Amino acid sequence: MKSTSSAILLLAALSAPLRAETTPERIQVEGEFIDTWCYFSGVMGAPEAVQGSAHHTCALWCAAGGIPVGLLTEEGEVYMILKLEGEGVLADMDTLLELQSDRLVADGLHYRRDGIDYLVVETVVDNSGLTNENHDEWGVIPGFVIPEPAE
Amino acid sequence: MKHVLTALLLTATAAGAQDFAEGSEANSWGLIGEEKAFFEARVVDLACELTGDCPEDCGAGARQLGLVRAADDQLVMVLKNGQPVFSGAVVDLLPFCGMDVEVDGLLVNEEDWTGIATKFYQVQRIRELPDGEWTRANRFTTAWEEEFPDAAGEGPWFRRDPRINALIERDGYLGLGQEADAAFIEDWF
Repeated sequence: MKSTSSAILLLAALSAPLRAETTPERIQVEGEFIDTWCYFSGVMGAPEAVQGSAHHTCALWCAAGGIPVGLLTEEGEVYMILKLEGEGVLADMDTLLELQSDRLVADGLHYRRDGIDYLVVETVVDNSGLTNENHDEWGVIPGFVIPEPAE
Repeated sequence: MKHVLTALLLTATAAGAQDFAEGSEANSWGLIGEEKAFFEARVVDLACELTGDCPEDCGAGARQLGLVRAADDQLVMVLKNGQPVFSGAVVDLLPFCGMDVEVDGLLVNEEDWTGIATKFYQVQRIRELPDGEWTRANRFTTAWEEEFPDAAGEGPWFRRDPRINALIERDGYLGLGQEADAAFIEDWF
């Protein structure tokens, strides 16, 4: 019986990382507001191509279309944005569009569950604007972003 | 005891690497780390699920929604609906807020590609359990047309959205201003 109990405890310990850890932690994090679908799906190419000036208009399209926005740090972490500066709305929000592709320092509450980091942004401490000028390397992604000029 | 431990370890491993492809009729999109995924889940407001801030109706379209998968209680973040038009899945999931559903779609993401191990979901069809009709996750453009009835004209919604067009007019396609755009466009075409 003791052995079986130990086995069950061991199983619980092994299973623990699979379960949620939702207690919030206040953090301040710096990164770029990105379009998470293109970043994680690879639909438009490499992660480095789907951020910054190369991907700015597509990032606007996706945010306006309701695709979740993330904050990408230099270390490659992505914080999925749940709320922004006390606003009750996110899925379709003009402020979100204004910030898309900008480099921000955000202060807020960090939640982590099932391998995903989430952030409730309480204060945008700093906004450096669009600093990732990567269009010289990648062009625009996707290529049809800019309509061909009329003859 | 050894046999019990082995069995339990195998069970734990299987739970962590479950294959949800069985029964899926999802269309492949050829995405990074793509796996077809058909599973039962409860539709949740992500902010409610994580923070306890729970308005009625999952925020009535103003919050991101997710799925708590029945098989393993994992919170699955839904990034995309079934339309190839830069659209998320909130409009598609909202009618099922708080309901137990079956969904079919694609899990995407590859750790070697993004550095993050967890997969995200693209939902292609949904039905309420136990016997609801299947609904295709393609409601975004209809909802957009209802929200912006004056944004008429040619082309897809994202070319006509007044919020986006105002920002492009102000900041250019690159987001760096019209001068940077002009120099780039001269070289691009």
